[in-house]
Amino acid sequence: MNMKHYTRTGLLLLAVFVALPGPEASAQQLRVAYFGETVTHYGLKVAYEYPLISRIKARNSARKEFLLTPGLAVYNHPDNHVGLILSPELAYQRTGRRGGTFEVGLSNSYFRYFLAGKTFEVDENGGFRRVKMAGRGAYLPTVSVGFGRDLSIRKNRSLAWYAKLNLMQQRPYNASTLMRFGIECGIRKPLKNK
Amino acid sequence: MWYSQTLEKQMKTLYKYLFLLVAVSLIACEKDDATTTDRTLYLRHKGADMPIWVRGNLASNKLVLFLHGGPGDCAMCYRHYLKGLENDVAVAYWDQRIAGSSSGKVDVKTLTYEQFGEDAYYVVKLLKEQYPNTQIYLVAHSFGVELAWQFLTTNDNQKLVSGLIAVNGTFSTYRWLVQMREWVLREARRQNNTAIEQYVQARPVTAENLGTYEWPELYKRMLDLDGNPVSIYDDKKFVINYLFASPNTALAQFSHPKAYSEYGETTIRGYDRSAFLKNIQIPVALFWGKKDGVVPIEIGYETRDLLTKTAPTFVTFDQSYHEPFISETDRFVAEVLKFVR
Repeated sequence: MNMKHYTRTGLLLLAVFVALPGPEASAQQLRVAYFGETVTHYGLKVAYEYPLISRIKARNSARKEFLLTPGLAVYNHPDNHVGLILSPELAYQRTGRRGGTFEVGLSNSYFRYFLAGKTFEVDENGGFRRVKMAGRGAYLPTVSVGFGRDLSIRKNRSLAWYAKLNLMQQRPYNASTLMRFGIECGIRKPLKNK
Repeated sequence: MWYSQTLEKQMKTLYKYLFLLVAVSLIACEKDDATTTDRTLYLRHKGADMPIWVRGNLASNKLVLFLHGGPGDCAMCYRHYLKGLENDVAVAYWDQRIAGSSSGKVDVKTLTYEQFGEDAYYVVKLLKEQYPNTQIYLVAHSFGVELAWQFLTTNDNQKLVSGLIAVNGTFSTYRWLVQMREWVLREARRQNNTAIEQYVQARPVTAENLGTYEWPELYKRMLDLDGNPVSIYDDKKFVINYLFASPNTALAQFSHPKAYSEYGETTIRGYDRSAFLKNIQIPVALFWGKKDGVVPIEIGYETRDLLTKTAPTFVTFDQSYHEPFISETDRFVAEVLKFVR
């Protein structure tokens, strides 16, 4: 994994986050979602949504936002591995006047997986050494696209639902890379009611 | 602008659940009792983390280690067809390096027969340590047969296992190409395909041109003549099981082939264990899909003739091509059980 690259990106995002004036607490949201490669590789994702730039278009009242959504996902691929994904995601989100949302995101994620079985490493003498919590770290650049609905706009409920498809590339994987898909379906809730 | 108290509280609760989920998932991966096993082991060696899924009947004290083909194919994906064995014996499904669900950070320079043989040695050794009173039998398919001969004809490795079932696989790349060319020529004439017939006639395989012979072109023509029309992806039950109910890393199969270019260009051409087969003394069975064009049955006959210190049994599957366990599953399972009993 290109750890230097990951650290540099993380620090840059943190600097942007600290430097920008904070939005109202009502604009910050918490995301809680099902996260999994498929329905059988189940998991959970939690993310904090922080609007960096937010504009409402006068013509059609559509709201356009650039969001910083740092999140942590964990999922279980049974008998294969348990994966943890730390994603400092940057996203663009458009909310229409009827509450429909569309978003695209980019993330330089960090992936840590734990092998789902007892791991034995061949030692220098040709014997075996047990490796506890065996697994590896990897760089996981991610592109995501999603849609949803903000229920606060028409139904006056401070809640939104969303669904997202994450396309992730694990680097390294064996001698090359591995594409992974992640399905994310969940809710967004403001930290403070509007 | 930082986290509000509410957020902190919510996050703490959620992190607790996340931690719990990780812990439960890691703990819940093993089930073993006196009669059955459902364990996942990993062998870490020279950059590769190779899974070995052990399933089935432990009370039998017999364990079948499946050596998959490819190279770069998968073992656990074929459980769909081999599961019938698990009522009577235990089965170990091992994904080789840069194959199936194996992961890690692996140098392509390790994709050599010597390394595959060494990996097999450690897999067998690990299984013997984990299941000390169990007899191990190898069921090897296609490239897995090449790997099996490499393993068995190195040092005293054959003493570690109780027998080998070799399924549609070769002992020598040269002999394989000679016999595949013969098969293609025969089929081209039978099917009146003059274009392929002329192509093959103009390109004999010799020991001298082995290093440069364009074998992928010959292979392509063999497939054109229906040398192996069976595709696991036509079996919807298999595909659903593969995607949703098996521990396979589904998309990894698209990632592996690019690692094998050097193997296909060079390494494969140097493979020849024919001089060593006379040293094999353990029981051997040769299982062959009779209609196979990938590794024609004539290779099976040559293998039988080279095994002079054992008396191999020869089992033909008349309706099968390269994977008799797919096209004649029940009979395949029955024949394996007959051999290991």
